[in-house]
Amino acid sequence: MHQRIQIRPPRIWTLSLLLGLGLLIFALAVFASPAQAAHTTTPPQQTDKPGNDFCLACHQEEGKTLTLGSEELSVSINPTQFGESVHSAEGIACVDCHTDISDYPHPTVKEKSIRAFSLAYVDSCKQCHEDQYTKVQDSVHQVALDAGKENAPICSDCHNPHTQPRLIGQESGLLTISARRHVAATCATCHADTYEQYKNSVHGAALADGNTDVPTCTDCHGVHNISDPTTASFRNNTPALCADCHDNAEIMDKYGISTEVTETYVADFHGTTVTLFEQQFPGQETNKAVCSDCHGVHDIAKVDNPETGVALRENLLIKCQRCHPDATANFSDAWMSHYVPSPQHNPLVYYVNLFYKFFIPAVLGGMVLFILTDIYRRIVNRMKGVKH
Amino acid sequence: MNKVNQTYLRFPLARRIEHWIMMLSFTTLGLTGIPQKFATSAISISVIQVLGGIEVLRTIHHIAAIIMMLGTVWHMLVMGYGVFVNRDQMSMLPSLQDAKDGIQALLYNVGFAKTYPQMGRYTFEEKMEYWAFVWGSVVMILTGFLMWNPITATKFLPGEFIPAAKAAHGGEAVLAVLAIIIWHMYGVHIKRLNKAMFNGMQNEQEMLHEHPLELADIKAGISDRRPDAATLRKRQMIYYPIAAVLTVAMLAGIYGFINTEETALKTVPPISESVDATAVP
Repeated sequence: MHQRIQIRPPRIWTLSLLLGLGLLIFALAVFASPAQAAHTTTPPQQTDKPGNDFCLACHQEEGKTLTLGSEELSVSINPTQFGESVHSAEGIACVDCHTDISDYPHPTVKEKSIRAFSLAYVDSCKQCHEDQYTKVQDSVHQVALDAGKENAPICSDCHNPHTQPRLIGQESGLLTISARRHVAATCATCHADTYEQYKNSVHGAALADGNTDVPTCTDCHGVHNISDPTTASFRNNTPALCADCHDNAEIMDKYGISTEVTETYVADFHGTTVTLFEQQFPGQETNKAVCSDCHGVHDIAKVDNPETGVALRENLLIKCQRCHPDATANFSDAWMSHYVPSPQHNPLVYYVNLFYKFFIPAVLGGMVLFILTDIYRRIVNRMKGVKH
Repeated sequence: MNKVNQTYLRFPLARRIEHWIMMLSFTTLGLTGIPQKFATSAISISVIQVLGGIEVLRTIHHIAAIIMMLGTVWHMLVMGYGVFVNRDQMSMLPSLQDAKDGIQALLYNVGFAKTYPQMGRYTFEEKMEYWAFVWGSVVMILTGFLMWNPITATKFLPGEFIPAAKAAHGGEAVLAVLAIIIWHMYGVHIKRLNKAMFNGMQNEQEMLHEHPLELADIKAGISDRRPDAATLRKRQMIYYPIAAVLTVAMLAGIYGFINTEETALKTVPPISESVDATAVP
């Protein structure tokens, strides 16, 4: 009946393999750390390349344009603005990106539109930012671009190379608060409606106040490998995404927010289902609610917000009715509001659990005790040779 | 010696089939239910995976629940027939004697009583298990209804009854499964392999050991008295229409259990959002 599990000592080659693997992961982690914005290797140096002053001599003149087909592209560069950019600070030369230009007159531009001209420059970013470039290849933006939507954003749409400020604090290695705001403003260029919602949400409002604990767009959507947020797998992963911060007592304690939200969610019917889907069929849709179905996506409000806060049962009921159209007033109380049952919160559930906590061992204990006396009597009788 | 080989029919085939249906549906309910209660444990996750995921598991659980409810309806009809038409002794009803028997058995086991109690058709152990099963079924059916039909339930009851029902359903399930494993396994499989639910029979020895009073009744010819043909016919004519009405009512109850409400939409309304890609500078 009993299965014996044998534990063999790990062999030396297994250990070496594990050690090697560990080192490899460590090396990759260091290499891929987000603090490292650009590749450390400098672009190929041209001995006779012209300096930025040489280029700016002409290009600082305002109103300079380049005709591309029927469009006029401004080719004026404001030396002050460029001087404040991270590329200037890092000593990147104009010709490091504009690799086809080394002298005047410049070679003829073949592209017939501004967009085509921008698109032709994408690969120049790759020279220094290969990590980011690679990540973008898996992004929803690249998918749109590959599908022929040429307005889907490329590097320079989010990061104007001539004015791009430094985003990562040199000491902290993290996004600075201004960078976090800059991210939201950048996404807002195309996602204006979404930004409007976010701006007034509990997260967006705090970001505007200079709070670095709240998520900006990239914290949930990723930076360069932004995935499609409308897929089943993204939805199934939502609880884990929110849990990243909401399970972290270091952040939540500051605001008196419970860190039991994930645990209580998973203990509930919805959470159990979604967790299992996430583990077993991450790509398959489930109709069970995730965090955002009740709390909102970009318009997440404080739970005690009188208008939309879900701590108010009438507000919560509206959320319930999205999936349970026939639900009536009492229905929303079936959700325990992320409370672990206690005499104060959901006492009925608490006392039912308490009852079984004692009832189960009492009944089973009684049975076991009786059976033990029965076994004892049988053994004694057998030894005495008496029939039971 | 031919007395020892004498056998007695304890459970006719119909009762055995009934038992097997309840046993199989109970086992299915346990196998698909316990992993739902402990859904984050590794064993549960494997079971759920093997059975095709949580939604399939729930469907199996629901089907098994329907089978068990049908079994319960059948049992009540059979009991009704026995009590009303045959006027059988209600040998499963608990009595003070059962408590006395239980205490005496315990005292005998620990050496404070000289003899083991003499019992009839159903021993106190069997009655305890039967009534525990009845109690468990009532709890499971009521709490199961609340979880299956939360919208209907909360029209009449506070919302908190739903998670409370879930807690009770889970607690009762653990109790029921463990009680079967401990009490039933020991009582009819380990202590002595009781074949009454396999071939329906008990031999003289077994009867003498466990049901001496019933055996005495059988031998005295007072155990299984059937009414005469005319009385039987008369009672059947009364019972059948009543049973038919009850059957329809109970089946309607089960139908309602399954079809009262459409709890949730099959798909969550998608999130729509607008993108203005022409805004690229």
